[in-house]
Amino acid sequence: MPDMTLKPKTPLNGYSETFGATVLEEIAGMGLVSIATPRGGVDALQGAVQSAYGCALPPTGSSTIGNDGAIRLMGLQPGQVFALFAYDGDTAVTEIEKALGDNGYYTDQSDSWAMLHLSGSAAIDALARICPLDLDASVFPDGTVARTVMEHMGVIVLREGTDGFLLMAARSSAANFLHAVEQSVRNVT
Amino acid sequence: MIINHPLLGPRDAAEFYYLGDASLLDRPDWQAPDAADKFYEYQYLRDNAAGEHRELWYHEQGDRSWLIVTRDTLTHDITKVELAHDVALAKQADPANTGREG
Amino acid sequence: MSQRMRINGGIVDRSKPLSFEFDGKQLQGFAGDTLASALLANDIRFVGRSFKYHRPRGIFTAGPEEPNALVQLRRGPYQEPNTRATVAELYDGLHAASQNYRGSLNFDLMAVNDLFAPFLSAGFYYKTFMWPQAFWEKVYEPAIRASAGLGRLSGKDDPDIYDKGFLHCDILVIGAGPAGLMAALTAGRSGARVILADEDFAPGGRLNAETHEINGGDAQGWTASVLSELKSLPNVRLMKRTTVYGAYDHGVYGALEKSTDHLPMSGGKPRQILWRIYSKRAVLCAGATERSIAFGNNDRPGVMLAGAVRAYANRWGVAPGRNVAIFTNNDDGWRTATDLAAKGVSIAAVIDTRSGAAPADVAGATIAMGASIVDTKGRKGISAVTLSNGTTVPVDCLAVSGGWSPNVHLTCHQRGRPDWADEIAAFVPGKDLPVGMSVAGAAKGALTLAACLQEGAKAGAQAAQDLGLTASMAEIPEASDEASAITPFWHVTESKGRAWIDLQNDVTAKDVQLAKREGYRSVELLKRYTTLGMATDQGKTANVLGLAVLAEASGKSIPETGTTIFRPPYTPVPIAAFAGRSRGKDFRPTRLTPGHEWAAEQGAVFVEAGMWLRGQWFPKPGETHWRESVDREVLATRKSVGICDVTTLGKIDVQGRDAAEFLNKVYANGFAKLPVGKVRYGLMLREDGMVMDDGTTARLSENHFVMTTTTANAVGVFRHMEFCRQCLWPDLDVHLISATEQFAQYAVAGPNARKLLQKIVDPEFDISNDAFPFMGCGEITVCGGTPARLFRISFSGELAYEIAVPSRYGDGLIRALMAAGEEFDAVPYGTEALSVMRIEKGHPAGNELNGQTTARDMGMGRMVSKKKDSIGSILSERPELNREDGLALVGFRPVDRARQLKSGAHFIPKGKTPSLENDEGWMTSVAYSPTLGHSIGLGFIKRGSDRLGETIVAADPIRGESIEVEIVSPHFFDPEGERVRA
Repeated sequence: MPDMTLKPKTPLNGYSETFGATVLEEIAGMGLVSIATPRGGVDALQGAVQSAYGCALPPTGSSTIGNDGAIRLMGLQPGQVFALFAYDGDTAVTEIEKALGDNGYYTDQSDSWAMLHLSGSAAIDALARICPLDLDASVFPDGTVARTVMEHMGVIVLREGTDGFLLMAARSSAANFLHAVEQSVRNVT
Repeated sequence: MIINHPLLGPRDAAEFYYLGDASLLDRPDWQAPDAADKFYEYQYLRDNAAGEHRELWYHEQGDRSWLIVTRDTLTHDITKVELAHDVALAKQADPANTGREG
Repeated sequence: MSQRMRINGGIVDRSKPLSFEFDGKQLQGFAGDTLASALLANDIRFVGRSFKYHRPRGIFTAGPEEPNALVQLRRGPYQEPNTRATVAELYDGLHAASQNYRGSLNFDLMAVNDLFAPFLSAGFYYKTFMWPQAFWEKVYEPAIRASAGLGRLSGKDDPDIYDKGFLHCDILVIGAGPAGLMAALTAGRSGARVILADEDFAPGGRLNAETHEINGGDAQGWTASVLSELKSLPNVRLMKRTTVYGAYDHGVYGALEKSTDHLPMSGGKPRQILWRIYSKRAVLCAGATERSIAFGNNDRPGVMLAGAVRAYANRWGVAPGRNVAIFTNNDDGWRTATDLAAKGVSIAAVIDTRSGAAPADVAGATIAMGASIVDTKGRKGISAVTLSNGTTVPVDCLAVSGGWSPNVHLTCHQRGRPDWADEIAAFVPGKDLPVGMSVAGAAKGALTLAACLQEGAKAGAQAAQDLGLTASMAEIPEASDEASAITPFWHVTESKGRAWIDLQNDVTAKDVQLAKREGYRSVELLKRYTTLGMATDQGKTANVLGLAVLAEASGKSIPETGTTIFRPPYTPVPIAAFAGRSRGKDFRPTRLTPGHEWAAEQGAVFVEAGMWLRGQWFPKPGETHWRESVDREVLATRKSVGICDVTTLGKIDVQGRDAAEFLNKVYANGFAKLPVGKVRYGLMLREDGMVMDDGTTARLSENHFVMTTTTANAVGVFRHMEFCRQCLWPDLDVHLISATEQFAQYAVAGPNARKLLQKIVDPEFDISNDAFPFMGCGEITVCGGTPARLFRISFSGELAYEIAVPSRYGDGLIRALMAAGEEFDAVPYGTEALSVMRIEKGHPAGNELNGQTTARDMGMGRMVSKKKDSIGSILSERPELNREDGLALVGFRPVDRARQLKSGAHFIPKGKTPSLENDEGWMTSVAYSPTLGHSIGLGFIKRGSDRLGETIVAADPIRGESIEVEIVSPHFFDPEGERVRA
């Protein structure tokens, strides 16, 4: 019997590029799980999150980080947060289930999104070419998260630090999304 | 246009999908004796207001909330934005409350 | 010698000479020149022909309002028609050509039009080209198109790139003249996030064009110090070469930045950027535009606006003439005389329509008060003016000032109407401004410098205070209020020659009077009848004058006559900028499945399905026609096993204690009792009773379902379900999230499907017919531990499964499936074979679910449960949707089996004419069935299910093919469905 083990592929084949002081690279090896709050169960979920990760359940539009820094919870919509954590396996939901029990409804999103990290001096100017949101630190500080549309593609934006952004777009249009961000960086650097 | 989302602040209308009259929340009782007439009215008879209009917008490229936006159709002036979910829950708790003022 | 009209002074950089070419002549200018100033420096002022009469025209203004000096800029594919020479920044190697002539600019064959002027008066299109009607398309329109119009497009793809962007600010200041600079400075100092946008490459506005003093020093020095402070403020963004062209709802402004237009080549960077600017407050400091006076032959090259004449002298160090006359109705015109005289330019005469003492001394000039100019002489340039007192004065330049009109354009973009202000004889912004906008300086009618500085500071401070910031107005720079008195004067009525109002559209005072006589009293109609104020300049120098002449002809005042209002854009915006990056393949995203790379390796022919690319068929070597590939794929699948990528189907994860109840409400058929581990076909209706979508839904656990939708409706169905969840049944515990992107999914279909899958499904999972029957589902692992979901569902009518793995394994899985299928001669099949097989089975798809068909039409009326509340259930009972003679989906086959059916054909009873009255339905889907060996079709026909066996005509009059068809069951293949349960 030949070895039929399936080989995983990342959406952007490990893309990484430097444009002067600006870096654009694919982020892989992350688990991403949607956690939905059962109706009437917000306190129970909040308690479970607090005891498992030592952080609060974030409101829509912001994020919190577990006290060991290993997990970030992002408030995507009312009653739904995404948990993002370093994870290389195939069953990210199991990891969340182990921590939070049956206090939430979990859906694996690890394979649904292409993740790009854009950082450096030109990051904000580059994003201004495609992102309708105001990313100024006064209104979009570190840890802010938002879902919006860029070049007709739905994108989740998370600010990390002063000039770093995690961008997540649908896996199926990953190549187009990379092209859009790359072109934006080229146009401003 | 800019819609001032109750949770997220101002967002470009390009992120939203427009549906129409917020009376779509008032779905009739399927078991009412006159259900056929009520559903007909619900589905087809809408006000086409020149002025203040409560309408449904869906934040499709955002937080996936359905919103009830009160907009003046003559000026695009937006005076109120509510989460449709909240309005629907309030209506369920008190069926006489349609969310409309006055 | 080149640049023979260059004089001292100005803000051009004489250390940087630039070469350029105009109409084949090599010329020189300086950095800081516009094409217009460089042409004038070289004593070139005849630069184009007019639109209608092909009259010689020259540079008329020094700014964006230019009606005449439109040129073709650049060459080859870079060519850009209708570029205003007055705002085109000079660069080394610039190439420009005049336009709108046949032959040469000097000997324009079309100039003959000028002789026919009496026949080309207002409304000539409507009067002349009315009949015979047939002539319009063949004769008139081609002729008009050939002779009208301005520049020409290259007809080639534009090699430059364009971009768009989004900017956010607290306060947008539009215009960087004295008012705008003060507004930006005051707002900037308050800490507000400020954008200061100006269309010019040199901020300063009229300060660059005048000889004003501020704080006792020259105005240019003050401008430089303000700009330097603004640049030092991190909260201020100064945008040069940026025109704010439109005011939209809620503080959104459109702006065009010409980022590399001033460079010989764009160097791979976007040439122009279309910005969407979000502002909380906007201060409009757009300045004012000078207007002309209507008198005989006031259009010759050398006739210019007075403010422009001194702008060329003061800003660019260029004398627009050697011997200049000034014709004015206001004090401002006199400054042109004094400024030019101070620079040593000879002033021949100053003619003022007002009587009384002359406001200034001009050495050597003839001063005529209470006089006017009735005519001019010269053909390709003015050579003399004739005064109302009969004297003729030789001149080579005439500077005209009819007063200044505030640039109220953006105040009107939200339907605001301007008000008339008698004291400046001009329209000023009305009360209904776009939300958040205020106006300051000349744009508001404050036409003097001290007032502009004061107002700008005040508006900037007010905007900041509105936003809760602390703004002080401490330092208003010192400046004087220069003389600006005006007595309105519009039209020299005693002129015999044509008195031009709109130079770009060749509209004369006579045209306006004629239009009025013909009944076009409304200013809106006047505009459309005479074309006054249309085309690229939108009548910036003409509108008020035209209105005044109409008012004069009607015996009414200007405010009584009214005004047309303005729409975006303020100045022309290239289509390329609106397109931005959305060109070719970048027009919209392309979605690819994880198996795409593998399919491409197999030579798949792809088809666009929404944004997705799907394999349509997989040609084998030697196959020359798509049907060969498709027939082979169908037969191989039905004989052994085929594999199809079905990743594109929408997948929605539905969880919650009330998930089953929720599905029971959104689907017309029952879902509450679906057992765990089972899949069910679901039919979704719209509230009006029409079919919205269909698909299958699997119950993975008590509170966890996964739904599939059609590829096309995935987004719409999700939106609809969120509406149901949030707006209709807000108390249910149910949560939705798309899982479309999470899984790669393949259909494995055919008698050997199970055998193939057994080779890759890990041995601990029993997928035998007993353990995993038809419509079963479960979570399994494959290939040694990779998690997967398996659904035993069939669209093909074969023993079939759909298997889903996390997308990262999608590429690996298709390769593993094909490797495992080798011993069964497994084939990949595409959407065409999929479609053939579903038609053979009579399954409805997109062609049948077109939004106008009901479950009953589909033969699925009984699926709509009447025991529960579900979307569409009540309205699906409407009588008209349940008529005895309603449509029903049935199958069709040609009576002559050798013939091909055509979808779109309409069903007509035999012997009747194909007409609407005899129309009984239409063919929705057809295919050649390799299984049956002939063409088959599905379609809707009245009372279809009662008519099996009947013969009818499938009429296709458009394609000229009508054939007899037999009505049959839609289930052409394995009607009992034995194969799916095997």
